[in-house]
Amino acid sequence: MKKHTKIFWITALVFFITICSGCDKRFPLEQDIFRTQNTFLNQDSIQVDFPEIIKDKITLFTMIYTHCPDICPMTTHNMNLVEQRLPDNLKDKVRFVVISFDPDRDTPSVFKKYAEIRDLSFNTWSFLSGDEKNTNEVMLKFNITAIPADSTYDDDGTLSYNVIHTDRISLIDQNGKLRANYKGSTADLNMLIEDIKYLAD
Amino acid sequence: MNILLALLIIFSNPSDKIKIKEPWMRISAKGQTTGLYFKIENYSDKPDTLYKVEFEPAGKVEIHETYDAGNDMMGMREVKFIVVPAKSTFELKPGAHHVMLMKLKTDITRDYQGEVSLYFKQAGKIDIKAEAKEMTKKKTMEHKH
Repeated sequence: MKKHTKIFWITALVFFITICSGCDKRFPLEQDIFRTQNTFLNQDSIQVDFPEIIKDKITLFTMIYTHCPDICPMTTHNMNLVEQRLPDNLKDKVRFVVISFDPDRDTPSVFKKYAEIRDLSFNTWSFLSGDEKNTNEVMLKFNITAIPADSTYDDDGTLSYNVIHTDRISLIDQNGKLRANYKGSTADLNMLIEDIKYLAD
Repeated sequence: MNILLALLIIFSNPSDKIKIKEPWMRISAKGQTTGLYFKIENYSDKPDTLYKVEFEPAGKVEIHETYDAGNDMMGMREVKFIVVPAKSTFELKPGAHHVMLMKLKTDITRDYQGEVSLYFKQAGKIDIKAEAKEMTKKKTMEHKH
């Protein structure tokens, strides 16, 4: 009986330590994303490396396609709202990166128009499109899926399709580590802003 | 009395039975795609069906619904029509049903007013004006016939 009691208390202690070791762990992830770089064209058709362009910056990252009428604009809008609501002392510490998983249609000029019509500043925002290899490697790194669906040829001969895709905003810290993922179109903006503030402190 | 009732039926506008509230479309650029949203209020004793939408500045218009595809993924598919049951309201809203306006021939900038025609099986054609905005709803706009 005494032996069983001892085992019980040791097990309880180990359990308690395990739980408490995670008590101050605010973020579920700590994935280094700087080990590999990928090459893209930004909205001005300038070649850039990602994630090198966000070095030392806290970053909100998403992947979208501009032909999406609903979810992707909601995600972009949520990131825009986060930027607008950031305290002034944080505005220069945070960057916003959007990469297309539909680069055939999302050329730099298309992406630029998508951003300009939403009054997004290229001082803080980057819209990147690249070739299939670089796009797929980033999707793999961030565990993002995009599956073309409902393909049809329109009367003018152009291929029309939708994309079933991951709906996500990712938070990357200033040390180049992926720290958290949020549902992009319905993200809790207050939580996102608090998480950014926590990283900045 | 019966004559009065008959006259009321003859001269009543069927589209009075359907009211379109809070129409808006999301800002977008020429050549791209956007969503149109509104509430359909059916005051009739019968269900009505939205089966077609026309928007001249779009090369293609379809009624769509966004759906949760599982594993944090979202998808979208065409629906041929929307049935609004009698005495009820159906809302087309972000993340759910919407009208997809494709191959835009013009920029849809903030405060753009888009003239849209909605076609119902019972109420017939209803013309509305939808204001362009990024996301939030600002005010209710009545439809015109």
